Amino acid sequence: MKKITRRRFLYYSTAILSSAMPFSPFQPRVATDSEASQYNDISGKVFKGNAPAKLWKWSCEGLFYTKLKKNRVVCGICPHHCILAPGDLSICRSRVNIGGILYSMGYGNPCSIHVDPIEKKPLFHFRPKTTAFSLAATGCNFRCLNCQNWEISQVKPWEVRHLELFPPQVIATAKQAKAKSIAYTYSEPTTFFEYMIDIARLAREQGLYNLWISNGYINKKPLLELCKVIDAANVNLKAYSDEIYRKLNGGRLQPVLNTFMTMHEQKVHFELTNLVVPGYVDDPDMAKRMCEWILKNLGPDYPLHFLRFFPKYKLDRLPPTPISTLTRFRELAMQEGIHYVYVGNVPNHEGNNTYCHNCKRLLIERKGYFIPAYNLVGNRCKFCNSIIPGVWV
Amino acid sequence: MKKTSNSPITLIVITTGISSVVTQLLIIREFLAQFQGNEFIIAMILFNWLIISGIGTLLAILATKGFWRATVSRLGWLSLCMVCVPGLQIMAIRYLRDYFFIHGSSVGFYPTLAYTFITITPYGLLLGFVLPYSLFVLRLKNPDYPGALIYMTDNIGDVTGGALFSFILIYLATPLQAVFLANLPLLAATCLLFISIKKHYLMVFTCAGLALAILMSGVFLERGSINTFKDKPIYYKESRYGRITVYKDKEQFTVFMDGEPLFSNQNLTIAEETVHYPMSQVDNPQNILIISAQGGMLEELKKYRAASIDYVELDPEISNVLFRFGMIKTIKGLRVINQDARAYLTKSDKIYDAIIVNLPEPETFQINRFFTDRFFSLAKQHIAKSGILSFSVKGFDNYIAEAQRQKVSSLYNTVSKHFSHVLLLPGQKIFFLCGNRLIRKDIPECLLEKKIQTSYISNSYKGNLTNERITSLNNIIDPAVPENIDESPHLMKLMFSQWFAKFSTSPNKFIVGVSILLLIYMVCIKAETFVLFSTGFMTMGSEILVIFAFQIFFGYIYLQIGLIITVFLAGLLPGAWAGEKLRGCEKNMLMIADSLLIILLCLFITGVKYGGDMLPVACFLMFGFVISMICGFQFPLVLRLQGGSNRSVTQAFSADLIGAAFGTLFTSVVLIPYLGIIWTTIGLIGLKLASLTVMAIKT
Repeated sequence: MKKITRRRFLYYSTAILSSAMPFSPFQPRVATDSEASQYNDISGKVFKGNAPAKLWKWSCEGLFYTKLKKNRVVCGICPHHCILAPGDLSICRSRVNIGGILYSMGYGNPCSIHVDPIEKKPLFHFRPKTTAFSLAATGCNFRCLNCQNWEISQVKPWEVRHLELFPPQVIATAKQAKAKSIAYTYSEPTTFFEYMIDIARLAREQGLYNLWISNGYINKKPLLELCKVIDAANVNLKAYSDEIYRKLNGGRLQPVLNTFMTMHEQKVHFELTNLVVPGYVDDPDMAKRMCEWILKNLGPDYPLHFLRFFPKYKLDRLPPTPISTLTRFRELAMQEGIHYVYVGNVPNHEGNNTYCHNCKRLLIERKGYFIPAYNLVGNRCKFCNSIIPGVWV
Repeated sequence: MKKTSNSPITLIVITTGISSVVTQLLIIREFLAQFQGNEFIIAMILFNWLIISGIGTLLAILATKGFWRATVSRLGWLSLCMVCVPGLQIMAIRYLRDYFFIHGSSVGFYPTLAYTFITITPYGLLLGFVLPYSLFVLRLKNPDYPGALIYMTDNIGDVTGGALFSFILIYLATPLQAVFLANLPLLAATCLLFISIKKHYLMVFTCAGLALAILMSGVFLERGSINTFKDKPIYYKESRYGRITVYKDKEQFTVFMDGEPLFSNQNLTIAEETVHYPMSQVDNPQNILIISAQGGMLEELKKYRAASIDYVELDPEISNVLFRFGMIKTIKGLRVINQDARAYLTKSDKIYDAIIVNLPEPETFQINRFFTDRFFSLAKQHIAKSGILSFSVKGFDNYIAEAQRQKVSSLYNTVSKHFSHVLLLPGQKIFFLCGNRLIRKDIPECLLEKKIQTSYISNSYKGNLTNERITSLNNIIDPAVPENIDESPHLMKLMFSQWFAKFSTSPNKFIVGVSILLLIYMVCIKAETFVLFSTGFMTMGSEILVIFAFQIFFGYIYLQIGLIITVFLAGLLPGAWAGEKLRGCEKNMLMIADSLLIILLCLFITGVKYGGDMLPVACFLMFGFVISMICGFQFPLVLRLQGGSNRSVTQAFSADLIGAAFGTLFTSVVLIPYLGIIWTTIGLIGLKLASLTVMAIKT
């Protein structure tokens, strides 16, 4: 047998080891027999040592956290349960551990403020034709590949331009804008929980409504606290598939389902939104199973919005959703028994309108943000007097 | 040992040259079809290719140490591998993309770098290895066989391959068909080689048969390999400018260009915005120019009953596809012009009431040309007094990120020099409406006055584009941001920042890593090799500069740009021949050659600054030819200075390749975006001065 020299041995070993290095950007990957990339999980990770050295003006001690040994803390706001050592930054990028205390870095520093029609949230069964004073601070506990607000959801609080608006100022500004509601939206409001809840409590006192627009990835305790002060919510049900949640969004399905059930128990008005992503969420069987779950656990009265997908952010190599897919999903959901099903991001679609679940007559005609026809009397159908679920003007 | 004639080996070298250039161009296009087509990616792919080939060349040194001694039959087996690998490589790039990355997602810098590096490696290493190895085989029989001769022979193949692809294959063949055609000569040459040594007949012809089968299977499997694992295209065409595919999902047709969705037949919102935002500002428009069309646009334009609508689309395949799948329909007064829009406007003297630019995001030098000072000036010359210019860039939902803000500011500062009124409208796209009279924000009212009906704008405009949103966008402009000018494309620099921000990464690790490797390499090489490195750097840098400048002055004219690239290859051969013939005073000749390169670069600066579009095309071709001739001239001189041994040959080849790799990367990604054309050229002059200095010190 030919002997191998030391030089050749070292050469071969280096070559073999180096050949593995270019694969490191692909970790972790698991090969499967069936669909490629089946076990991808894009969930975020704690940013080790990434917290600023000092707090800034727009921070406050966090709620719902637990102290651990060695000055570590575990955040209890969302199911990620980030365990933060001193100097760490949470997955949502909004919470830090400084000296063994958890702080939120998003208090009083909204980066995005607008006044939007309430239908834009979308909320179709809550005080139509009114406006919502909408605000957001940075951060999100998901990593959605198609995030439409990634400029503020996937950044750290100190990386953006922001205003200074502490809760009393938010109320004053909202009133000045003649908005009837305050919407916590755009990024993921769960990440600025303390700011949101303080504003919401004040808003309640001042006669303003509170709207929570969220991915629903929140633990039960903070959610119960939130339910005491919110009046309506729109929560995304990204897909009825844990695999897609992990692959496209970096979250899990069950906690979101739990959120719906909690809000249902707490009798908070909410509407569900499902973005129909071609190739992933456009499976009629999955839509059917989703509807079955909704009916079984929540009942038929919560409005469900199927939204049209457009290429965005990192998920920009897919086509938009065909309109007929959304039409079909709407029909399917109504056949399953959900009373109010809408199609979003499609102008002039029949699915923009509200029809009575009983007599099927047109209750609310929507043309964009205009409402040319409104056929409710209080909370009842003008034609057959059925109670229409929602909070009406 | 059996005696062999040199001809079969020479033929192997030439046919390898043909195969390698065609494969390189196909693989680059393949990567662009799978990943982002911005300049950074293009430069990175070329960089990887050249570096890996350079490493392959260095590995050939092992052959000199008896690790894998050069023999004719081993060269033959290597060549057979080279026949098989390109097709397999292209298929692997297509199939593995959705294996490693999430279907439908774009990919960041480091994963793209890793993926391209891994998939290029087999062929790149082989290619780099084979050229010097061929020389070693030739030297078995003739130990004095000049290294420069192999360089020239390879160059013949490269030029032939480049011309074959750019002028023939791109029009007539799909990628795997092109692989088949370009590798047939190499397969034949390999068989001839084995016949000449009268060895391994059975094994050779079996393997050659297998290689042929692999080549042909690519042709048959091509259409299936284009399918992503979720969809099948109903239309597929390789145009000069990229891969066009059309997917049908129920009633929706979507046109993709290089994997990115461009147009759909169901995007009414964007069609309305693109047309009605500018058209609402014009009274009684008669002549309209649209630069690239969106599905549904012409239907919306029809509402204005204009006398003439000129639709300019660079790629005739795109306009054909749009018509074929009903995304745009022929309307009265429509004229389709398949030409670069800047070239068209330069030659035309028609005046328009509205010019609507509907191009993709300015992420390449090619597209950026329609967002520059010179273009806006050109557009203004073609717009009526009360006319309007409209263009758009990617928008935002609720917050404009800093890089995007800078981009919008740069565009605003550039266009506002030419138009007294510029209004920005936010949304999924940020629309710039530019004119010389006041531009109204109340677009639904304008449309009502004109009795133009719309589905989206009339009902949703006020809710989406509130006064507050419009005002805050227009107030966020930073007047200090530099303008975007052709010679110094500021937008490209911002595009890179934006791209890295999108993936929350930074190129710093890459830059540091590459710089360290470069430093180590600089320390290890000899002075003469540094000359080749710097010349390789400078030649690739010059090629990019010439193409860039050509596009600015003449537009994107595919054939002429192909000619420039071919000429840059062709000059190497006569240069190498002259360098081989010249004997004595090699050091002085190297320094003279470097000085000539510096003079040429100075002439380039003068030409660009004072000549511009008055320079005939021949000047650009002549410049490219002379630069590459001098580059080729230096190669044999360096070889002779280093003794011409096998080791020195591999070092020379690798220096040239590595220099070219860094030249491509730095020029595209750093020098032009950050410094502009003139200072980039000065930078290249600086590099050649360094090379001169190093040689002078050594003397």
